[in-house]
Amino acid sequence: MIDIRNLYKNFGVLPVLRGVSLTVNDGEIVSIIGPSGSGKSTLLRSINLLEPPTYGEIWVDGKIITPPDPYLHFEVIRASRTYRHMQREGWDDDAALIREIKARDLLKNHEGQKYHTLLKEITQHSFVDANVVREKIGMVFQHFNLFPHMTVLQNMIYAPTHVKKIPMDQAVEKARALLDNVGMLDKIDVYPGTLSGGQKQRVAIARTLCMDPEAVLFDEPTSALDPEMVKEVLDVIKRLATTGITMILVTHEMGFAREVSDRICFLDEGTVLEDAPPDIFFSTPKSERARTFLEKVL
Amino acid sequence: MRLDFSIIWGYLPMFGSALLVTLKVTFCSLFFALLLSIPLSLCKISNIRPLLWFADFYTSVFRGVPILVQVFMTYFGIPIATGVKMTAFTAGVVVFSMNSAAYISESMRGGIRAIDRGQYEAAMALGVRYPAMMKDIILPQAVKSVLPSLVNEFIGLLKNTTLIASIGLVDILRVGQLIQAATYRAFEPFFVISVFYYVLVMVLSWFGKALEKRVNKSDRH
Ligand SMILES: Nc1ncnc2c1ncn2[C@@H]1O[C@H](COP(=O)(O)OP(=O)(O)OP(=O)(O)O)[C@@H](O)[C@H]1O
Ligand SMILES: [Mg+2]
Repeated sequence: MIDIRNLYKNFGVLPVLRGVSLTVNDGEIVSIIGPSGSGKSTLLRSINLLEPPTYGEIWVDGKIITPPDPYLHFEVIRASRTYRHMQREGWDDDAALIREIKARDLLKNHEGQKYHTLLKEITQHSFVDANVVREKIGMVFQHFNLFPHMTVLQNMIYAPTHVKKIPMDQAVEKARALLDNVGMLDKIDVYPGTLSGGQKQRVAIARTLCMDPEAVLFDEPTSALDPEMVKEVLDVIKRLATTGITMILVTHEMGFAREVSDRICFLDEGTVLEDAPPDIFFSTPKSERARTFLEKVL
Repeated sequence: MRLDFSIIWGYLPMFGSALLVTLKVTFCSLFFALLLSIPLSLCKISNIRPLLWFADFYTSVFRGVPILVQVFMTYFGIPIATGVKMTAFTAGVVVFSMNSAAYISESMRGGIRAIDRGQYEAAMALGVRYPAMMKDIILPQAVKSVLPSLVNEFIGLLKNTTLIASIGLVDILRVGQLIQAATYRAFEPFFVISVFYYVLVMVLSWFGKALEKRVNKSDRH
């Protein structure tokens, strides 16, 4: 399960994500849609920590993968000097006090040993390293990002053999099976430079699956493709969707999103405006923004 | 004045061992230069400020001081200051490899910078750790793109090794000087030396081109 709690991301002074909360259960397929620049890629890339979040927490399978966010833990706020200081100054409504500390971002400068110890206590037992998460959550990119100096097979087996330390013969066997699945077995020994966009993306998907991920993130997997190649890639993803793997997709292919998703998550200016099953979202969007967006793209 | 190349014959064995010295200095220096350029270029792309400053300072020193001065400094100066004695061969290899490492790491920096962010992201998304990512994914591609300038650096290095003649190591150039001193002839020995270097450089360039072709086979469409 992937649990995103109140995620904020700023690039310098530019706020891109502004309090996103989203839970994706095992085996669920969630599509994130929204206008360009709304933060879809940033959200997706936060999940495997390619973009470290500014505030908020991400939990994967009950383990926190981001540094703990003090604002999400009342006991930490209450233990802070700022809290006691404000209490002395006459703030008697506890809830209002905490809201004020959050709003003014008063814990930003750390509060010494105690604060850190507490945060550690809360999360220590479950904290994991970014690479452990990345082994569990695969990612497929818009521009494929195959390694150009390695053959298709080398691309496939590199991470399994080097990161997971799977024996070479097993990795090769798995790679062959996966390549066969995406119809690319005949290209096993060529370099990516010789492949078409659709073929590259199919190899990239297979490469991600070689790591046996529990979940796969797709960031506009068909946006860089010529129109005639979109279908072959969507078909591969559709088939993958039936295997029970968890998927989070950022896509502009509305028909496809509607067909494969369990839920649609509409992102606008860094906040989740809608989170609903596809039939409900596409027929009766709640927000004005989603309505205008759908009018434009459908 | 009549040219007489027959005077060279007697010195051929000397040329032979001198050529060996030149090649030994060149290849040893190249080896250590490549070795040293890896951590240097990693410093140059690191976001740890002191590492960056160190690498930039290092490069500016080797760029800023004439290489003959570096040779004298290492061979004559440093032993006096530190008491560490060095043979002319060691001094030469130390200077040339540190020097080349400065230049190679500079082009490596460019080569690494030119690599698409997507390559890092794909590697990270697969859970590949930084050292393995650099070693297997980023540096191979960077080396490939800087190979032409590596070959140039190698050629420059070969030519720079003539400077060790000035600290008494008998390389090809030094043999020429010895012939000149013994026979009062300058054209013949230095002509032969020019040919030596020219042929060596041509061989290296050819070898470099062949290597480039080989590593670029993955780009063929
Ligand atoms: N590394 C970065 N540095 C600075 N700004 C960034 C960075 N990455 C993204 N942004 C900015 O953040 C905003 C959201 O970007 P993001 O890529 O998440 O949007 P998106 O919803 O994926 O858009 P698109 O549909 O065009 O892909 C944009 O304004 C973008 O310019
Ligand atoms: Mg995007």
